Amino acid sequence: MMDSSSVKHLAGHPFDRRDFLKVLGWGGAAVALTGCGYTSVEDGRETVVSYSEAADYVIPGISVYYNSTCAQCDAGCSINGRVREGRVLKLEGNPASSINRGKMCGLGQAGVQHHYNPDRIREPLLRNGDQGQAISWDDAYKLIAEKLNGVSGDEIAFLSGGVSGHLKVLLDNYLASIGSKNHFVYEAIAPAVLRAANKKAYGVEMPRYNLSKAKVVLSFGADFLGSWVSPVHFAQQYAQFRKGVDGQRGVLIQVESKMTLTGANADRWLAVRPGTEGILALGIINALGKANGAAAAAQGYDKVRVSQDTGVSVEQIDKIVALLKHRSPSLVLVGGAAEGFAHGSQNAAAINLLNQVLGNVGKTIEASAAVPFPQMAPATGSTAALKSLNDGLAEGKYKVLFNYAANPVFTAPRATKFKENLAKVGFKVIFAHYLDETALQADLVLPLDSALEDWNTQVPEYMAEGPQINIQQPLMEKLHANTRGMGDILLALIKQHRGEDYKNYEDYYAYLRAALLQNKDALGGKGADEDTFWNETLSKGIIKLYGTARALSVNVSAKGLRLSAPSKMDQEYPLQLIPGVSASLRDGRHANQPWLQESPDPLTTIVWDSWVEIHPKKAAELGIVEGDIVEVTGRNGSIKAQAYLFPGIHPDAVSVPFGRGHEAMGRYAKGYGVNPFQILDAIYDTETGELAMHETRVKVSKTGQRVIVVKDEGAAGGKQMGKKIAVRISSDEVDLSGEV
Amino acid sequence: MHRFLRLSVLLTGLLVAVNINAAESSQHRSNQAVPMTEDSLGPLVEQPIEFPHNRHAGDANKGGMEINCMYCHTYARRSAVAGIPPLQKCIGCHQSIDSVRETPRIKQLFDYWEGSADGKIAAKTPISWKKVHDLPDYVRFSHERHVKRFIEQQNLPVQEVCGYCHGDVKEMTVARRSKSLTMGFCVSCHEKNHALTAAGGTSPGDQAYWYAFQKPPVDASGAVKAQGPNDCWHCHK
Repeated sequence: MMDSSSVKHLAGHPFDRRDFLKVLGWGGAAVALTGCGYTSVEDGRETVVSYSEAADYVIPGISVYYNSTCAQCDAGCSINGRVREGRVLKLEGNPASSINRGKMCGLGQAGVQHHYNPDRIREPLLRNGDQGQAISWDDAYKLIAEKLNGVSGDEIAFLSGGVSGHLKVLLDNYLASIGSKNHFVYEAIAPAVLRAANKKAYGVEMPRYNLSKAKVVLSFGADFLGSWVSPVHFAQQYAQFRKGVDGQRGVLIQVESKMTLTGANADRWLAVRPGTEGILALGIINALGKANGAAAAAQGYDKVRVSQDTGVSVEQIDKIVALLKHRSPSLVLVGGAAEGFAHGSQNAAAINLLNQVLGNVGKTIEASAAVPFPQMAPATGSTAALKSLNDGLAEGKYKVLFNYAANPVFTAPRATKFKENLAKVGFKVIFAHYLDETALQADLVLPLDSALEDWNTQVPEYMAEGPQINIQQPLMEKLHANTRGMGDILLALIKQHRGEDYKNYEDYYAYLRAALLQNKDALGGKGADEDTFWNETLSKGIIKLYGTARALSVNVSAKGLRLSAPSKMDQEYPLQLIPGVSASLRDGRHANQPWLQESPDPLTTIVWDSWVEIHPKKAAELGIVEGDIVEVTGRNGSIKAQAYLFPGIHPDAVSVPFGRGHEAMGRYAKGYGVNPFQILDAIYDTETGELAMHETRVKVSKTGQRVIVVKDEGAAGGKQMGKKIAVRISSDEVDLSGEV
Repeated sequence: MHRFLRLSVLLTGLLVAVNINAAESSQHRSNQAVPMTEDSLGPLVEQPIEFPHNRHAGDANKGGMEINCMYCHTYARRSAVAGIPPLQKCIGCHQSIDSVRETPRIKQLFDYWEGSADGKIAAKTPISWKKVHDLPDYVRFSHERHVKRFIEQQNLPVQEVCGYCHGDVKEMTVARRSKSLTMGFCVSCHEKNHALTAAGGTSPGDQAYWYAFQKPPVDASGAVKAQGPNDCWHCHK
């Protein structure tokens, strides 16, 4: 494994012939010493450890399978792990789950690399100057109790990623026991604006989107095949949608400024001027010409004006309108690309209005059933939560901060000064798997079990069918003796304050078992004895529930909907920075899993590095060719990365993917690529307060350096032993304007 | 009588010394990549407990108990690997064999089960045996398949069948590799005993790879005169 500096070294300089020969020589000698002869049959070198007592079903060489839940993202796919000789080897989807129906994505597959990761923290670490000093768990708990002593609840903050199930219940109870109401649920990339817009339009935050019933899907930047909400589920819905209803194959139209994986699969891909998605939606409403409550809102948005504002031609608008009129029901989706502006909520409202006008509500958009246990329902993350925490930190409001499943030092824009504000907290406890950027700021780091060795329950936000509770159970023994499950830690902490109430629960497993058995009847175990119910539950990995159906509000009025005119050309910073969300790296929390680093980006095929997507026309204007190291400069800093000429981006925008550019975290993450989170401007959606991630304006300049872009596409990968295999052409040779 | 005893002890000693020497030099040789013969012995491997295979599986007239190999290596008929019996299995019998309870090896065995008096070994500690028959990771050999064929279908004696690859384990204390276990060794049997063109056999296509690294002859009827599984994938999955 080369470290990043040597990669950069190779990238920046011509290969030295002498070094090359040296490496070749030593490598050859090493091969000669180890590789020849019969040495591959080795006697007496490896050990073979027998079991001391073996269960009947344990046969060396034969796998056993356990059901659990994937924790790589929040979609809540059920998984089935293959375990041999006590080691988990491979994960597959659990066919019984209505969310993923036996399928899995690449991100989920990499879960084993999270588990076996060599950079996991193995001991509780206490800050001692610049060093982390290993301490015992007892000492760590004592220290927390000591630090909380005499601190009022208002001075304690708990920052976490999205949590649900019993962990959320326990967390809420812990916060109540220390008298704190400051739970900030933060996800760096979350459809929070969409939730708020949906709540207004339909009465629920996350309805069910029935792609399979739609005959046309018009998606405003929702990358539902890549990273949006529940991609494995939507990929299957998409397959049905393409097979068609009544023999009519579904048509997918994707409107966005930067092509996503979903956009690449669309029948029509429209490059819209960044931020004008809402205007286009109103233009379509206007052109549909349906006289109802929405007509007023769409007044004045005639095709010509909309075409001027959005950059989408009148002919294209006519085609979309014809399709939508001709084929019903349809489905209109709001994605991150429409949300990420100061007027993101307005964009989302305009697009949701289009659904109402088309009469899709109740047909392709249905209410999901409510979870019968509201205390277990997911606490969904937003960036507004981080903003409000950050404001409190800036005022010096908090003396103790807990952080779980979030890495805000990496994901908060530098302009928010989060890192500086964090330093004002007296005592910071971080629960973490890796020493990531946030953990490095901690006073106390507590190492967590991996998702494959921990107990939990999870309630997914997006329910594919009826509500369900997912069971997460250990697939194997713990790898490291001194890591703990988050549930166990919370239980130990809560016992410091409410020991009497929790004295019956030796560990989180006991708590979980007791909590589920208490509600056995409601969970479908009526009449079964406790052990049978419990064993069946673990064996299935899912508890399916019957929730009460809800109705969606059909609210066609468009009160308060006012879209601002498209932003004016900025002379100094002429380009819009559109951060890319990749299906595998997302917000970068799993960047230390090498499979995710090495799996090529689906559109550019680039591996192990960041890139700047730039339209070929714009590149020609700026004299940039592929591989040029370019500097992307905004008002709040700059990043340098290799240029990639990409026709699937609006000429007035550039895109840099999220997830890379770690300064810590581990050997596979640190030093690879750049982090666009850092240079985002601190501009917020005016209604929800969410960070407007697509609002940052930048300029691009050449640095004079050039590298060879490491990617799969192109001639080198197209031939093997003189034969063409998987013949392809590079994407910059495709004339997309002719395709859409 | 005494002279006889003394002589035999001396002779045994000499033999052992020569054997060890030979083993060492063969070990030495194997590192030097000198080709092994089919029957060249593997090195002597020191195990945590010197388990006497001869006592358990040996012939009755030599003081053995003729226990079936698969009584302890019970996974051989169910899995790719034969497995080492769980500690529980050893104890299962030995807790009721008082006559040898105080012998050094059995005392050592019980240390792993009950914990040692000096506290160095915790109770129920699994024993770390050294692997004696270790194939490279790119070879998949299935015990189950071979046991099914020879023992269950052809009803051959168990010790003979295991002995094809493991040698005469019933004469050994701790096992020692006595076959080369190279690809050539596998092929030597498979070519002899697996007529590929036997009735009902499938004809290999052009894609097949041949042990001899060349295409086998085809007779007038078009049948291929080749032996054994002809697909690399059978072993190199």
